[in-house]
Amino acid sequence: MTFKTRFIVVILIVAVMFILHNSFWLWDLDSQVPLLFGFMPFAYSYYVGYALLSLLAMKVIIDLAWPDPPEDVTEQFTDKEHSKQ
Amino acid sequence: MINAIGISILLVYMIILIAIGVYGAKVSLKTSEDYFLASRNLGSIAVFMALFASNITAFTIIGHAGFSYEIGYGAYGYVIGWSIFITPFTYYLVGYRSWLLGKRYGYATQPQVFGGIFNSKLISLLFLILLLYYTLPYLVVSIIGGSLALSTVTEGLVPYWLSALIIIGVSLIYTLPAGMRGTVWTDIFQGTLFLVVAIFLLSAVARALGGFSEITHQIVLDNPAMLERGVSPELAPINWFSYAFINSIAVIVFPQIYTRILAARSSINLKRVSLYYPLALAVIFGVSTLMGVWGSVAIPGLVGKEADNIVPLLIHQFLSPFWMVVGLVIVLAIVKSSIDSQLLAVAHLLTDDLFPRLKKITSQQAVFWGRIMLLVFAAIAYYVALIQPAAILSIAGFAFSGFSVMLPVMIGSLYWSRANKYGATAALVFPAIMLHLWYLRILPQWTTFGFMPVFPSFVLAIITFVVVSFLTPAPPPDQSKKTFGLFDRVFK
Repeated sequence: MTFKTRFIVVILIVAVMFILHNSFWLWDLDSQVPLLFGFMPFAYSYYVGYALLSLLAMKVIIDLAWPDPPEDVTEQFTDKEHSKQ
Repeated sequence: MINAIGISILLVYMIILIAIGVYGAKVSLKTSEDYFLASRNLGSIAVFMALFASNITAFTIIGHAGFSYEIGYGAYGYVIGWSIFITPFTYYLVGYRSWLLGKRYGYATQPQVFGGIFNSKLISLLFLILLLYYTLPYLVVSIIGGSLALSTVTEGLVPYWLSALIIIGVSLIYTLPAGMRGTVWTDIFQGTLFLVVAIFLLSAVARALGGFSEITHQIVLDNPAMLERGVSPELAPINWFSYAFINSIAVIVFPQIYTRILAARSSINLKRVSLYYPLALAVIFGVSTLMGVWGSVAIPGLVGKEADNIVPLLIHQFLSPFWMVVGLVIVLAIVKSSIDSQLLAVAHLLTDDLFPRLKKITSQQAVFWGRIMLLVFAAIAYYVALIQPAAILSIAGFAFSGFSVMLPVMIGSLYWSRANKYGATAALVFPAIMLHLWYLRILPQWTTFGFMPVFPSFVLAIITFVVVSFLTPAPPPDQSKKTFGLFDRVFK
């Protein structure tokens, strides 16, 4: 898979996360779903779950589209003669 | 109120900060790169805590709890929901590519990175002006918020003017001698402190109110509206949607955050930070939300700004004086860890991006002038925080939106090789003007189509950047190659 294709997958993940944040159709459940662990209402526990999902999403993004710089490129980073301009 | 144990805790806290400052100065090299960027050698924990502690302000524990007191559990998702994912994602989207350029070409600030991409002194100057313009009022408001919080927690024992002086003074104790290294080391200490203590504080409040389940059931019985997002006009879907464009995406544009990303030692450090950041944000705002909502039942009847006092009031009414001191230390830690980084970022921008335009200075002279700038801006910020001019407060009211509107140019510059300096210039200036016209109510409200002004301004920035870049000549190939040749080698 090319980087471009992998990056498109990343954009799709971002879009899904944005839709899940703006999930207004679920707001009716706020008063219907029982309290999680006896103290977390749906409006609250939804974002606890969202945080865990965010961690998973970031893990996928990192594995998919966050390459470390190749070693020879890293060596160039220490080349201070190119600094700033 | 504050007994011998309390004074001892405060003293130990101060001594640790001073020791960090002294030791940081001892191990620091006398170069600009070391003073402002800790020699780009920050490890995972250092970058994580530096970003987290700089990102968390008095609003988190004071303002957000007050907002939750009024709005209910929905405040959690509204204020921080989108940030939980998108803020660490921007560390990847913008942060990593900027870090690559910084390592390769020695860039240390946004004016250098984006001025360097377009080989344009104008772009560099525009970034400098806009970042200072939005950061300075934000800094003053942080000091005002922190000082009010400190004054409230001590029940007026430490007056507002003295609170501001303590916050700025203590911040300078370690920032002045040790620069970035001093702020980062104290961030590790203070960030850990307020993350851990906030959880203990929440447990203590819960116990005092009868337990987690008991207080929640009381809310269900007495004030069930706190559970429902749909009943609050403030959380109307159009506001909920618009708010996603204010605080969450602005974070990577803050100069104090951006610079800390450039200071990371390796790509692996940034990955770890981005991976675990969602949990840290969720925990600290989760604690603050619960305290606010619980407070609405435990101490009902607070209105408007009074609600912002809910955390100190809960501590005062339900916990022992020991917790009052602990609360005081947390407030100090939270407030200072953001103010010190803002002060250093402002001094850095002026020393590294403005001074060289006027006079050639050596790396050692830059450190000297950086310290002078720190002192000068600390004094100015203190004075402005005392007189609180309306104009400054007005700009601070939409500073986050101003930062957000700069993001399209930052993303476009790092991802689109056809982008040019004309597009970037227009996309920095035009949306910033429109944002002012909307926030200052010079344009009628209907022109935003019901959205908060940040959303149409953000869209305008994208359109302006793309259209103007297409209508004007493409950047010279060797200029594009400098940036995108590097990226092509990494992102394969």
